[in-house]
Amino acid sequence: MKPSTVNDPRRTERAPGLSLKMRGMLTAWLFVSPTVAGFMVFFLGPLIAVVFYSATEWNMLSQTSTFVGWANYQDALTRNPDFWHVMRNSVVFALGLVPMNIALALALAMSLYRPFRGVVVFRTIFFAPVVTSAVAWAIVWKFLLQGEAGAVNQILATVGIDGPNWLREPNWAMFAVIVTRVIKMVGLNMILYIAALQAIPRDFSEAARLEGATNWQIFRMVIWPNLAPATLIIVVITMIGSFKVFDHIYLMTGGGPENGTLVLAFYIYQQAFEFFNVGYASALAIIMFFIVLALTLVQILLRRRGSL
Amino acid sequence: MAGLTLNNVTKKFGAVSVIKGVDLEVNDGDFVVFVGPSGCGKSTLLRVISGLEDVSGGEIRIGDRLVNDVQAARRGVAMVFQSYALYPHLTVEQNMGFGLKVRKVKPADIKTRVREAAATLKLEDFLERYPRELSGGQRQRVAIGRAIVSDPAIFLFDEPLSNLDAELRVHMRAEIAALHQRLGNTMIYVTHDQIEAMTLADRIVILRDGQIEQVGSPRELYSHPKNVFVAQFIGSPKMNVVEAASLSAVSEIGGDLAGVVSVGMRPEHLTVTQPTDGLFRGRVSLSEYTGAGSLLHVEVPGSGTFLVLQNGPEAAETGAEIGLSIEPENVHRFDANGLRIPSSNSLKGET
Ligand SMILES: Nc1ncnc2c1ncn2[C@@H]1O[C@H](COP(=O)(O)OP(=O)(O)OP(=O)(O)O)[C@@H](O)[C@H]1O
Ligand SMILES: [Mg+2]
Repeated sequence: MKPSTVNDPRRTERAPGLSLKMRGMLTAWLFVSPTVAGFMVFFLGPLIAVVFYSATEWNMLSQTSTFVGWANYQDALTRNPDFWHVMRNSVVFALGLVPMNIALALALAMSLYRPFRGVVVFRTIFFAPVVTSAVAWAIVWKFLLQGEAGAVNQILATVGIDGPNWLREPNWAMFAVIVTRVIKMVGLNMILYIAALQAIPRDFSEAARLEGATNWQIFRMVIWPNLAPATLIIVVITMIGSFKVFDHIYLMTGGGPENGTLVLAFYIYQQAFEFFNVGYASALAIIMFFIVLALTLVQILLRRRGSL
Repeated sequence: MAGLTLNNVTKKFGAVSVIKGVDLEVNDGDFVVFVGPSGCGKSTLLRVISGLEDVSGGEIRIGDRLVNDVQAARRGVAMVFQSYALYPHLTVEQNMGFGLKVRKVKPADIKTRVREAAATLKLEDFLERYPRELSGGQRQRVAIGRAIVSDPAIFLFDEPLSNLDAELRVHMRAEIAALHQRLGNTMIYVTHDQIEAMTLADRIVILRDGQIEQVGSPRELYSHPKNVFVAQFIGSPKMNVVEAASLSAVSEIGGDLAGVVSVGMRPEHLTVTQPTDGLFRGRVSLSEYTGAGSLLHVEVPGSGTFLVLQNGPEAAETGAEIGLSIEPENVHRFDANGLRIPSSNSLKGET
């Protein structure tokens, strides 16, 4: 059968049943089809594959694969103490990073949202790390944070502080990766907050000022409540980002010392590509998928409620 | 309550002079309207008075107090913004009580004062609502209510009605006038709508390019404009101003014509006559029917287009030859600098 094009006038005449709505739908599907195809091939496909792997005991070295049902999940959630240790690390990482990131982003945005001479320079300085290579960033910081010779400790020494060997002590290592990650990513939230602040009419703070509000009252009673929708979104995307952190950990600490910075995404990588427990790693990946999904759903729900 | 005195007030933004030396005396309880074309500095002057902008030079006194260096919040002024500036996350009641809350007034007192103001403005039924749940007129009233609650010496309004539709604007205009009657506070009101200015003001301040052109009651400004700018700014449609030399009829109007370079005639003062009867004649190039009457555009050879308001249902048709006539006391005379020349004819006992 010879295919007729949509533009063929005879076709339109011969198909009076094809309503305007149907034709609209058809066009819409045509336009989204490349994305849908990409989604299928690069997201849905692997996802289904991972679900499948997660139910198997598959060793990449011996190339043997046996079906084990829920065993990998049971392993993670009930038998393997590593898993909960890793989850604890991920939560600590998120709880440390999110408030620090948001407080800093907001402080920067508050000082940089109004135009003044040179404001663009400052915005660029704080945003630049976001677009810097994560690899370069992590390597440079690893270098700066070395024990005795590191620049950070040398600077601390000049004011009489004897800095720790940052990346070799579990608690300090966690602190160091959080802080360096915050410095890298804070620019993104800063930009989001700048946009949100600029959307708040100047009249609001002027009216408040005229009524006797102090700067702090203006911030707390007028600005902060009006930033709520932005803050919700920023919290959730930052949280999701912090759960997915990998490159930073991989390059700075490799999950150490004593697994002190071993977070979920890095643990998955370790299990799959260092220990070749593909089945177990897949189960972990699915667990992580649900955590991120849950956070995303929370975000969507909150956003709906916010825009009411 | 207090009056307001401006003494050679100037305001610069960087190198740009926006207010160029304003002297003004506002009596306690007066309703003063600032009018002028867009960009002339009305809002800036209001903001300088409020303290939201600092003053570059001169003196501002509220009552007897020099307030140049007094914070906005301590000047005893309240401002109603064009955008209303209502906080979207607070209810009407919380919006109106905001100023008292930040000043740590007791919640019970806040409640009483907010209820009082709400009663004045018929807002009692809306206290629990959020601004987004109100109509434009109601929001406007909340904004005014917030100003009332703070019990200021002086109310400042910056084009408060410009976001409302025409009908509501007329209604709110009357409400603001009634409010002024009731409260008796000094009010300063910025608008670029000269009808609003005429109807509300005890005194009108006409600003142009950062300077006062004239201050006076609406009647004074209408009948004795100091110069061509004021003459054309007050009154709608605007006054016809033509070169005296171009109109032979000027001599027939009589009076002392020494130094008269241009003459002004308001559209509502010109009457349409038979072509042969008028002081001068012209041809109707456009006739706009407005219901109560018609606005005629009349080409007068040598002088240009005159706007003429013709009352009643009968309108001269487009293309018709008509005569125009005017009472001599309604002719305004201006000299080479555009300044008014008082004449015995047009000075009917007033100053
Ligand atoms: N913050 C500012 N910085 C620089 N120039 C300003 C500033 N605010 C106002 N101006 C300038 O001052 C002049 C007067 O502005 P203003 O807002 O007072 O005019 P306005 O009379 O209120 O006009 P409109 O009727 O359009 O509201 C304008 O030319 C404006 O560009
Ligand atoms: Mg203005």
